[in-house]
Amino acid sequence: MSPISGKHALGFCLALGLAGASATALAQQNTVVLYKERVVEIEQTLPDASELWVKPEDLTRINDFELKPQGACLEDLCIPVLQDRDSDMYVTRGGQGWFNVTGLADRLQQAWVADYEDGVWSFGMMPLERQSFFRGGMAPDFELPDRDGNIVRLSDYRGKKVLLLTWASW
Amino acid sequence: MWQSIYEEIQAEYPDFEIISAAQDTGGEADAGPIIDAANVTYTALIDVNHHISALYNLVNVPSGVWIDEEGRIARINEGTYATTHFNGAIGTDEYTPIVRDWVANGWDSVHAWDQDRVEESIFERTPEAERAQPAFRLGSYYFNSDNDAKAEQYWTLAQELDPTSWNYLRQDLNYEEGGSAGPAWQQRRQEIESAGGSYYAPLEIENSDND
Repeated sequence: MSPISGKHALGFCLALGLAGASATALAQQNTVVLYKERVVEIEQTLPDASELWVKPEDLTRINDFELKPQGACLEDLCIPVLQDRDSDMYVTRGGQGWFNVTGLADRLQQAWVADYEDGVWSFGMMPLERQSFFRGGMAPDFELPDRDGNIVRLSDYRGKKVLLLTWASW
Repeated sequence: MWQSIYEEIQAEYPDFEIISAAQDTGGEADAGPIIDAANVTYTALIDVNHHISALYNLVNVPSGVWIDEEGRIARINEGTYATTHFNGAIGTDEYTPIVRDWVANGWDSVHAWDQDRVEESIFERTPEAERAQPAFRLGSYYFNSDNDAKAEQYWTLAQELDPTSWNYLRQDLNYEEGGSAGPAWQQRRQEIESAGGSYYAPLEIENSDND
């Protein structure tokens, strides 16, 4: 069984379960979001042909941004988002708030590519993470699993001189 | 081959570390045996989504970045073979001595670049090429979900968006007839070189006479 057909099946059951409870139409399949090493499965999204709308808690699962009264925030950065009325970044449907992840990406000039057919959305790096790289020559931090599955961060190596090497088997 | 150099430098300078990142969508199955065979004791990562290349604007392997104790870059974007291969056809044996010099002398090393030089040396990507990374990531997701048709679709898109990336081209060719160093790769390399370009970002070693 391919993982894609499995997700279709789950999304279908979920939609059936909600049909009587809410007037809100939800997407008929699970959505998958790729960001850095993350593969985040989202059970419910707003149906939209060209943008990705998720619940605020799913936004945090995707990219660590948190929806606060002052906006969508990551550490010290906050992008203002109106929440008392609908906007291109945030809407309320049936009492549930929905956040526009692709809208945030566009505002942050973060590149993204989607396979609309399967509901797989892939996000690139956020330029804000690399400001001090292009102007300042600071090494951007990263998080990758080692071969035992432990997370390795470049910032773990502060105090050492690091030779970072890329290679490939091919 | 980096292992013996690592051991030698580390014996004298324990605060030296190598982090290697295999740009291998095939993951452990492809890169693991090579790491095992080299008895690697430095930090060896397998970067299935080519994240490090995307993050540091690297387009080829092997590439190297020097990062000091505070996270400041001292050199970037060079073809970094530890030794020569194929009778000198690939690589250089000039790189290891300058690494050693930097570890010993830090910012006093003539081979450590100042901030302006580092910023100038970062490879420039167009906004289109920035989209190549999520496209490649999407292709790799499909590759590892055994959906070859969509993997090919998005890997091809990544190559169209960023024609400067040898990594995206060769990772893809690795799964096609002819392989990653076959006729398709050779043709592309010849096209670039006959137009006056170079396949590897050039390694320019400073004269150290005044050390």
